[in-house]
Order: sequence, then C-alpha cells, then structure tokens
Amino acid sequence: MQHAVVAEDVRRTYGDTVALGGVDLTVETGEVFGLIGPNGAGKTTLIRALTGTTDADGRVEVLGASPRSVDRERIGLLPQEFSPPERLTARELLAYYGGLYEEARPVGAVLADVGLGDDADVWYENLSGGQKRRACVATALVNDPDLLVLDEPTTGIDPAGRRALWSLVERLADGGTTVLLTTHYMEEAEALADRVGLLAGGELVATGTPAELVAGYGGEPRLEVAVEGDADSATAALESAGYRAVETRGGLAVEGIAAREVGDVAAALDDAGVGYGALAWTQPDLEDVYLELTGTGVGSGGEPVDREDGPGDGRAEPRVPTGGERR
Amino acid sequence: MSRTGRIRAEATAAARSFLRRRTAVFFTFFFPVLLVLIFGVVVQSGGTGGGLFALPPAYYVPGYLAVVVLFTPLSRVGSEVARHREGARFEKLATTPLSRAEWLLAQTLVNAGVIGLAALLIFVLVVVATGARVVLGAGTLLVVPYVLLGVVLFCGLGAVLGRVADSQDGVIAASNGVALPLLFLSETFVQPDLLPGWLPVWASPLTYFSRGVRAATYGPADGSPGLNLAVLAALAVGFFLAGALAVPRTD
Repeated sequence: MQHAVVAEDVRRTYGDTVALGGVDLTVETGEVFGLIGPNGAGKTTLIRALTGTTDADGRVEVLGASPRSVDRERIGLLPQEFSPPERLTARELLAYYGGLYEEARPVGAVLADVGLGDDADVWYENLSGGQKRRACVATALVNDPDLLVLDEPTTGIDPAGRRALWSLVERLADGGTTVLLTTHYMEEAEALADRVGLLAGGELVATGTPAELVAGYGGEPRLEVAVEGDADSATAALESAGYRAVETRGGLAVEGIAAREVGDVAAALDDAGVGYGALAWTQPDLEDVYLELTGTGVGSGGEPVDREDGPGDGRAEPRVPTGGERR
Repeated sequence: MSRTGRIRAEATAAARSFLRRRTAVFFTFFFPVLLVLIFGVVVQSGGTGGGLFALPPAYYVPGYLAVVVLFTPLSRVGSEVARHREGARFEKLATTPLSRAEWLLAQTLVNAGVIGLAALLIFVLVVVATGARVVLGAGTLLVVPYVLLGVVLFCGLGAVLGRVADSQDGVIAASNGVALPLLFLSETFVQPDLLPGWLPVWASPLTYFSRGVRAATYGPADGSPGLNLAVLAALAVGFFLAGALAVPRTD
C-alpha cells in the first residue's frame, strides 16, 4: 500500500522550546489516522510540518512529494484556529475556496454534507459556534481532496453535530480519502481512527489501532463499587475473597475483574454485610491509554488533565512537561 | 480553475468582505474628502503670500489624490495581511493552488477599484469645491495609469508592513508612520522650494507620482509625465514583488 504521509525524524523548535523532538509517522493511503495528545504536545506543529506551513527539520513526504511541491488540488486542510472572512455567507465562503481549485464540488452538496443547507445564506459571523466550525470543515472538503487534514474539526460542535461530522468522515474514508485528524475527544479518535498516534512532549509515544493501544496501555477492566459505610471493611472483605480492591473517591474499585465475576463480588460484599449503592463495570478505553501515556492519570505522578476543558486552547506549540513514562 | 479564476475568486471574496464593512468604506471615501474640504475650502489655496497652499488649487491635485493612493493600500493590505495571519487564513491558502503573488494581485485589483472610484470623486470635488483649473486634454488621462501604478506600489508596501507588524493595530500605526512623512515630503502639498535642499525627495516613490500627475493636470513640472511614469512603473513592479514575497506562507 502506498503511503499517503511519511514523516521521518521531524523536528521543530521555537527558541529553546522543543515542539517536535523527532517524530516518525506513516499514514497509509485510505487510512483514518488520529493524533491525540495534551495541549502543547505538538499536534498542530506536526500538522503544520506535514502541510508545509512551518519550517521543520527532517523528511516529510505527502502524496509522494514534499509538502510544498505536492499537488495542492489533492490536499484539504482545516487549520486549528481557522477564521475565514466573516462577512461572507456560508455559500459565498465555499464558492470562494472552491474557486481556488481546478475542480471543485458543487457548493450546495458540500453545504448539505456539513448540515448547513438551511443556513447557506447567513453571514459567517452570524452563524453559531458549531455552525462556524462546520463551515470551516466544509472549506477543507470543497476540492474533494485525496488527503484531508483536520486539526480539531469538532471543537465547539454539539454532540449531534459532532456525530454528523463523524459520519461524514466515515463516508469520505469509505470513498478512499485519507484522513489525518487531531482531536481532544478520545471517543472521536476511537470511533473514527483506524490507527491512533499519541503525541506527548513533542514525541510520538505510541501508535496503533485503538484496540492495540487499549490492550497495551489501557490497564484492566474494573468494577466501581459505591460503598455505603466503611470502605475499609469492604476492601478487607473483597481482598479476603481474592480480589484486588483500591479505594477511590466514590468508594472502591475492584481491578482485573471480568464481567462474569460481578455477581461474585456482589455476593462477597453481601456475605460481609457491606452495603453498596451501585456497581459499575468498565473496560479500559483510549482515555485510559491517554492518561497512562501522558502521565496525567491518577497515580501516575503527572499533573492531572482538566477533563472539562475540552479541546485545544489554540496554543499548540509550547512543549509541556509530562510526568509519565512509556511503559 | 485557471489562474484568472483563482484571482477572480480571491478578489470577489475580498471585495465583498470590504464592501460589507460599512465603516471602512465610509472612511475610505470620507477621509480624503475631509482633507479637500479643510485645505481646499476652509484654509484655501492660491493666496498671494508665501508658505503652504500659496499656489493655485490645481497644484495640489496630486496631493489630494496621493491621500487615497497612499493611505488606503497601506492600511487595507497591511490590515488584511494581519487579519489573514490571525485567522490562520494564510495557513489554509498555503495548501491551495493560490500563490502569494496571485493573492496580492487580487487584493490590488480590489484596491484599484476602490481607490479609482475615490480618486475620481476627489478629482471632481477639487475642481468643483476649490475651483482648481485643471489642464484637460489627452495627457490628463495619464492620471489613470499613475493612480493604478501608485496603488500597485503601495499595495506591495502594505504587504511588507503587514508582514513586519505583528497585529492589526501595529499595521495601522506602521502605515501611518510611513505614510505621513511620505505624504508631506514628496512634492505633494509642500512645493520643492520650501523643502531643505538636502532632503532626498527622489527617494520617495510618491515623488514620481506627484510630479507625473502634476505634469498631466497642472502643467510641466520636474520631468515629463512619461519619464515619471516609467520610474513609477519600475518601482511598482519592485514593490509588488517584495510584497508578494512578504506575504506569509508559514507560521
């Protein structure tokens, strides 16, 4: 299979700050590749290096050419902080960007793809935040690119709109478009990406399918127990029954437990006379991988990630210290 | 899409964006009109004494036209570069077939349209409001290429300022800082014999605009209209190329 993107030892510094410390990356043709990582991990810098919009050291090849000599008809880019002319309607905006290419898709079809058909004649500045982002995504689709590069495409989009965009990306991928996207939403990477690369501190610390990453770094399934009463008694009861239990903020968690064993745990608690409000069994997911590898997980020694802050703050270049080590 | 198509798309978007900013449009036309009214009507020219505005009103036609030919491209293109940079628009455009020279040419075409209209308005206003006796003839039409070349030149310089300044505010300050000295030290409103001899007025590109327009509308001045036009054309090409190279392609 031909590589759509090849990056070897890509480095970029800003003064003394290392934004990319030697990244090697390959994206196959037709693949959806997701880049995840904390703010400042270097995702946007890597996107810029791959699209030739920053001067980076190392070797980069996009669709068989260097980023600045590649056929630009074949590339579609959504920059992270993209803000197009505000007093153009969504329709005019797409006509504008479509007019820059030899062959562009019909504007109406692209607007329909991103769910802006009904607001096509509204000035960009009067669209809602989510609609604006969808219009921006549309500008990357208007030339029907072979390689679509989306830097945080769903930032600010509501859940329904986000899922609509996921469907769109899936359709494009099914049609053979190679997609390289960055995201802070782990479920987005898990849902869309064939492979995921986790960038931390300017280095690609792990690459693989979501399942491979979860299997390798996500840890074990666990059962969360909302204990009513003395957590120490509950822990002792479970440990005497042969389970590994650790205290958590909501009670305790039994680690390394299969779903079929949940009833046995409940029985052990009942036998010990420990009351509990709820049991919740969870499998590890990409978020656990993220927290583990970026050193931001509970007990990892790193700084906790603010899980509420959502996607990028637009300051992608500075390298942030991470306390975790790849295991 | 051909090169023409790309430039048309960019120019159309730029024109729409500009024309929908009513304040910008209003002051683009109001500022030079205000100067004509202040200097041409209130202060009045053509007095018998010495000093500024002592010559007939038609002498100052190049100065009034220079206001729009100089200020508007500098501030507009400079601001547009800053606006594009802040909105990651150049990052986006760098991955499209539109080249930097095409982008600047599209911006220049929009400026040429706007400034051409403003220049015509000013020309008529100067004649009507100040009673300027402009030489009319086939040579007067040379004002058109002078205005166009001036626009090209200062659009290029505006792109350079936009590259150097780090914000829209910075662009406005820088363009004012460049434009004000040029406006008054380029044989526009201040005649050469009032300027110190050591001042290298030849170094200002606006000087060739002033001399040429004056030769075409007022009477023979320093150099022929054709010679000044040739110098201005050469400078316009140079500044345009510098501006195209200055348009950012990377972060």
